[in-house]
Amino acid sequence: MFGEILRKLVHLTRRNRFEEDFDAEIQFHLETRIADLESEGLSKEEAVAQARREFGSRARASEETRSAWNFAGLEQTIADVRFALRSFARRKTFAFASILCLAIGITANALIFSLVNGVLLRELPYPQADRLTSVRFSPPNQSDQKLGSNSGTYFFVRDHADVFERTGAIRITGFSASPDAKGETPPEWIQGAWTSTGMTAVMGVEPMLGRWYADESNPDLVISYRLWKRMYHGAPDIVGKKIYLDSIPSNIVGVAPEGFQTMNPDIDLWRPQPDRNLANALRSPNRVFFMFARLKPGISVEQAQIRLSTLEPGLGQELEMNRGWGIRIESLHDAYVGFMRRPLLVLQGAVLILLLIACANAASLLLAQAAARQKEFAVRVALGSSRARLIRQLLVENTMLSLAGGAAGTVMAWFGVQAVLRTTFAANHALQDVSLDWRVLAFTFAISLGTGLVFGVLPAMQGSRPALMNAVRESGRSLTASVSNSRLRGAFVVAQVALALVLLTGSGLLIRTLIRLNTTDTGLNPRNVAVIQVPFSRTFYSGANRQNPTGGLLVLFDGRFDALSERVRERLEQVPGVLHATAAVTPPLGGAPRRVQFSRPGVNISESEQGIWSAEWYPVSANYFETLEIPVKAGRAIDSNDRQKVRPVAMINEAMARQFFPNQDPIGQQIQLDVVDDLPREIVGIVGNVRQDRYQTRPQPQVYVPRTQLPSFMDMTMSFEILVPSFIVRTTGDPATVMPALRAALHDVSPALPVSSIRTVEEYAAGQLQDVQQYATLLSLFGGISVVLALTGIFGVMVNTVSQRTNEIGIRVALGATAGDVLRLVIGQGLKLIGAGLTLGFVVALAATPAIGSFLWGVSANDPLTFAVAAAGLAGIALLVCYFPALRALRVQPVVALRNE
Amino acid sequence: MTQELLPGTLYMMVLRTLASGPLHGYAIARRIQDASRGGLQIEDGSLYPALNRMLVKGWLKAEWGTSDNNRRARFYQLTPEGRKQLEREASDFDQLIKSIQLVMRSA
Repeated sequence: MFGEILRKLVHLTRRNRFEEDFDAEIQFHLETRIADLESEGLSKEEAVAQARREFGSRARASEETRSAWNFAGLEQTIADVRFALRSFARRKTFAFASILCLAIGITANALIFSLVNGVLLRELPYPQADRLTSVRFSPPNQSDQKLGSNSGTYFFVRDHADVFERTGAIRITGFSASPDAKGETPPEWIQGAWTSTGMTAVMGVEPMLGRWYADESNPDLVISYRLWKRMYHGAPDIVGKKIYLDSIPSNIVGVAPEGFQTMNPDIDLWRPQPDRNLANALRSPNRVFFMFARLKPGISVEQAQIRLSTLEPGLGQELEMNRGWGIRIESLHDAYVGFMRRPLLVLQGAVLILLLIACANAASLLLAQAAARQKEFAVRVALGSSRARLIRQLLVENTMLSLAGGAAGTVMAWFGVQAVLRTTFAANHALQDVSLDWRVLAFTFAISLGTGLVFGVLPAMQGSRPALMNAVRESGRSLTASVSNSRLRGAFVVAQVALALVLLTGSGLLIRTLIRLNTTDTGLNPRNVAVIQVPFSRTFYSGANRQNPTGGLLVLFDGRFDALSERVRERLEQVPGVLHATAAVTPPLGGAPRRVQFSRPGVNISESEQGIWSAEWYPVSANYFETLEIPVKAGRAIDSNDRQKVRPVAMINEAMARQFFPNQDPIGQQIQLDVVDDLPREIVGIVGNVRQDRYQTRPQPQVYVPRTQLPSFMDMTMSFEILVPSFIVRTTGDPATVMPALRAALHDVSPALPVSSIRTVEEYAAGQLQDVQQYATLLSLFGGISVVLALTGIFGVMVNTVSQRTNEIGIRVALGATAGDVLRLVIGQGLKLIGAGLTLGFVVALAATPAIGSFLWGVSANDPLTFAVAAAGLAGIALLVCYFPALRALRVQPVVALRNE
Repeated sequence: MTQELLPGTLYMMVLRTLASGPLHGYAIARRIQDASRGGLQIEDGSLYPALNRMLVKGWLKAEWGTSDNNRRARFYQLTPEGRKQLEREASDFDQLIKSIQLVMRSA
């Protein structure tokens, strides 16, 4: 096969020479034959005649010989392409309209596919990344939750699972980091990971510079590529330098390669925590470890899950706190980008629908063209062209259109990707690797070719129908053909309207979700509130000299923490433009609060109810409710008199009051929170519900306690949260104008305080909605485009109908039809198509919208209002579009129409 | 009496004719006609497209040389690939003929 192509190519280079040689060869043949025949006794004339007869047609021999060296079909195709180009040049508007239509559809597809490709299809940058997994744990009866691990659990799974080649775990903490000892550079709050023995080997990647630390070498660490660039400006001699974490020096022994990631892309350093240190925390229930594992070769994630499930009973027996817990394994790829899968696939589905609508438009245009070209086709058939030949020509034309659309689409998608990445998806980590690579280009090419076939085949078959061939005899009109032609175009319009309705309903549901999320009261007033997160140094607590009842480490906070915290709060309150200042652990409307279990002294809780007795737990300082304008419904708010060694108090929200204190006044009642060393607290006030998680559907029970009344001993994880207080200020005007003054005020209190972030509540609360917003934006964009395309389709068909039925209308008017009759006739036909399309679309949308069900809030996937508005809106503009061709029908003069006959 | 050619058999006959050594087109035509004692209805002209197709397939190669009557002529010769093809086609053909004969005799 390959040799043939090569020989043909070589032949191509000496084609002229070959022609001459071939003539000489045949000449030789004939002359030799003549000579032979003459020597057999024939006369010259007889010999020549016989030689020619024996040889047959010289022209055919030469033609067939030439074709032996041709590339099969190539020259034919080139001829078709030339013909098509000439034909397009004559029909510029048509060619432009078709290409534009297809380009829109293909652009959307290339764009979304480049996201799918960059996020879902990209392999993680680790050797044999498909064997990397993340192991999580699910609480009893909540198999869809995936929590971290405690050290005991990690050891158990590590030692008992037989499906892993290597295992490791990390624990994430924050560090106040500085490149120099004296704090000349203000310290930066960064995230770091403690890695267990073997963790770096699980990933299987060597640092870009230097090496990994040995497991026991505590002051050694490896920094991220980003931190190397940011804090050390990419210094090539970085290995061996020091980094100061909470003022304690550590040695940088390596820089991880760009894109190296454990858990999340914000982790900027890795440092060792040998397993024997972890063992100290063996019985701690705190799930602060995240387990990773490399599967043995040949074992799939599914097989591993089955094996791990068999370990669950043993895990519950070994460690009481794990009774009923499940082990959940997923590929690292899923753990990192799994959450993007459904949105991206839904979007890809949406743009495929869009492409189908565009295809229907292009096909409809082609049909209209085919009708106009009936004569041309008929002539070609009359001149001996076969139907197959004609179809082939049409398919070449269509493919050229779709490839042109594809080329335009690729260029537009390139700009589109940049725009989308810059705007709607700017904050999404998972999308950092998106670009137009060869896979996207191959996809776009394939989809362009496919498009050419999809929209081209039907019109090509239709256009080349034998029935058309009567056309050459008549005046260019063939009734049967044009009827089936318009029927096909009508079917396209029905499909377009249906598909457009599906997209419109989908985006409508998301828009309603956004409106619901934005207009539903959060329970506090987020306007003009800024939140400053200030990580305090670890020196505020002292070492672990006590353990909690289950063996976890406890740390001791001394009074200095509260003193500094209060000083910062007071200083912030003095900044001009600040109305109130307060401090909290969880930023309002941002971040997940800790949940604690609680009980009421004297009230028995049955075992089955125990899980239900829990509430969101907020340690806050004075002025919290004033600052955030959370209404105090009864009793009093927490104030600065609620200090250590005073009677412990708590406030609860209305939801908690209603659920756990039915038909009684909670004020004055006692509750016991399940927090180490916490004393029974008296409820002193009831406040309104706050929707901390914007997506929650029911108000959650919430309990507020004075920050200063927390026990001095805290377990490690809680201490990390407490150590990064959020200072909340309400300003008189735009918080942005006060921000520099707030920073300066912090610096006044202590130059060593790093500010990790200063943001307004409105800003980050909007960030919570970003996913839905991006989603709604893109889907609405595609929905809008699809509607425009569908309307164009309707318009084209209606115009066509009116011009085809001009005679009929003329006759009707001549026979006394009124303007109303004519309008009814034309619009009636449009109405039929639109109605059929809407009905079909309604059914398809009902089946399709559950795909986005998990992104909806406060709206059901088949929300009747959204469906009705989408359908009515589409019907309305579609009818409007029908109206204009109908007006044209009104202007038909009977005389003119009849003269055409 | 002359016979129509079974499809594909022209290639086989050309390959067989060339098995004993290089020949020019005219000589190939004469050999086939002589060997079949004029029983085959082949136009001489149809030989040349077949020869060229076999060149494309790589079964033959062609070189210019001098004929018996001292004229420039194009000589065709088997390649190793062509020799293999001849064996393949000959055995396939024998098989075919035997099968047909079996059918014809039994019926």
